Amino acid sequence: MTTAGLHCEQLSRRVGDRLLLDGLSLSVAPGESLALLGPSGCGKTTTLRLLAGLDPVSGGRIRLDGEDVTHSPAGERQVAMVFQSYALYPHLSVLANLELGLEVRRVPAPERRRRIAEVLALLQLEGLERRRPAQLSGGQRQRVALARALLRQPRLMLLDEPMSNLDAQLRDQLRPELRALLHRAGHPVIHVTHDQQEAMGLADRIAVLEGGVLQQVGTPQELYHRPANLFVARFLGRPGINLLAGEAGVQLAIRPEQLRLVESGGLPARLLRREWQGSQQLLWLDTSRGELLLLAAADLTPGEQLQVTWKPEDELRFSSASGERLA
Amino acid sequence: MRSAARGAMPTALPLLAALTWSLLPLLWQLLTSLRTPEALVLQGPSAWLQGWTLANYRQVLQGDPPFWRYLFNSCLVGAASTGLTLLLAIPAAYGLQRQRPALRGGISLLLLAAAMFPYVLLFLALLELARALSWGNQLLALALPYAGLSLPLAVLLLRAAFADLPAELEDAARLEGLNLWQRLHRVLLPLLAPAIASTAILVFLFSWNEYPIALTWISRNDLLTLPVAMARIAGSSVYAVPYGAFAAATVLGGLPLLALVLVFQRQIVSGLTQGAVKG
Repeated sequence: MTTAGLHCEQLSRRVGDRLLLDGLSLSVAPGESLALLGPSGCGKTTTLRLLAGLDPVSGGRIRLDGEDVTHSPAGERQVAMVFQSYALYPHLSVLANLELGLEVRRVPAPERRRRIAEVLALLQLEGLERRRPAQLSGGQRQRVALARALLRQPRLMLLDEPMSNLDAQLRDQLRPELRALLHRAGHPVIHVTHDQQEAMGLADRIAVLEGGVLQQVGTPQELYHRPANLFVARFLGRPGINLLAGEAGVQLAIRPEQLRLVESGGLPARLLRREWQGSQQLLWLDTSRGELLLLAAADLTPGEQLQVTWKPEDELRFSSASGERLA
Repeated sequence: MRSAARGAMPTALPLLAALTWSLLPLLWQLLTSLRTPEALVLQGPSAWLQGWTLANYRQVLQGDPPFWRYLFNSCLVGAASTGLTLLLAIPAAYGLQRQRPALRGGISLLLLAAAMFPYVLLFLALLELARALSWGNQLLALALPYAGLSLPLAVLLLRAAFADLPAELEDAARLEGLNLWQRLHRVLLPLLAPAIASTAILVFLFSWNEYPIALTWISRNDLLTLPVAMARIAGSSVYAVPYGAFAAATVLGGLPLLALVLVFQRQIVSGLTQGAVKG
């Protein structure tokens, strides 16, 4: 195993009698970007705070480039973080926001100026040096927060819901830019989100958390097509996966886009309602095996009798008892 | 224009009433300070044409010791009390804000009880203390009880102000390697300036107005603070009340506070309303 990058083993965080994070083990290589994905309260922000050193760990180890930083103070870990609110210092100009950290770390003035000029250019912030955070747009604030994090020359970059304060259009525009930038910077990146589109767009790998327990880590494709359990299967994908009754003890699931309408020989279905989505329609079907969602191009009216089919190999099979996927 | 003016009337009226209520006594003092004793008892409209004088001011300013000496004493005690209070209250408030909620609630409750306690009940005990420690007639020693009495409220006010700052700001500063002192000095305190200014004014005002402790701790004529000195002016003669001189002293004694409030008014107003709009 290489020592470069982040390795954490059996990381836990307990507050009182509540276990917020239960034995998380993860590795992120330099230049790799990992998304922590899960619903609110799943432990993803807890994980970021443990890695940053903002909260004490209750168990486990964190190693950064081979060094054990489990109990190092936040300021000595060389970990940078972009906060959800961006946490720019409101009383300081953009320039002073960027300079404060360098100044307290005793970086000499000429080098400070050089490095700040570098990140300003990289993030296209030139001309905004004298502005206060309140005088910046949401996208500009995010870039200043990112610039401040990059100036830390971090061994690990953490991003907490970096896109959640931006409107949808700006998000779509910034996602590829941010991804390219983080790849170029070359440190391990962990970013927390509850938005699967953001996770898939920004990350090389995704770790799905639920109830403080890691459910699965893998590429977006792996998670989507071979989810480890029912939770991952249902959490990923919009519209959500269809659940079908199977044989005893087995829960079947199939993605909406893998269902097809056929003339004959399929499962009889009645169209309950439909939602027009531009290129396609989202259809709700009532069948003997449960309600099914599917996407179709055809223009159909509610009440119509249809037939639906799918390839058996596209079915995902889960244990009804444990929710684990069966081979 | 006209409809806007009419719309303002219902709110302007109570405001005007409140202003009259508060300011009329001050105006009365100002007028009294500029009149001869005889003019004060004249009646009828013609009385306004005569009896104007600066003699009252001359009297208090040329007294022994001159009046500015009391102003200076009060300013000195006020500044020392305010400085000492802030020096202790700021770190205490920060520390309190960082405690577990249960402990924080308990300590806040105790502080509130201390802030509400009628301090006049303490003055005999404080007098004994001053005697035992030979703090009588030590002007700056007054700052000790004043700071002590102001601390509970100051800590509570500043704690609330710390709580209003987003926690992520300090987290960001910690990650950047700022130590506790740097975080306070470079990030948190500049953002708390309004709250600190309004707390400082409250402490200064308490020190400026305080009477029983100053009366019992200080007896030397040249070390008196304003309230005690004013009481002496008022009671200087058994046969007459020197209304004019007393009013002149009141006006002079109010000027430094007026200046202070004018200088810091922006901070005070934003400090007093801070956190008021939070959901």
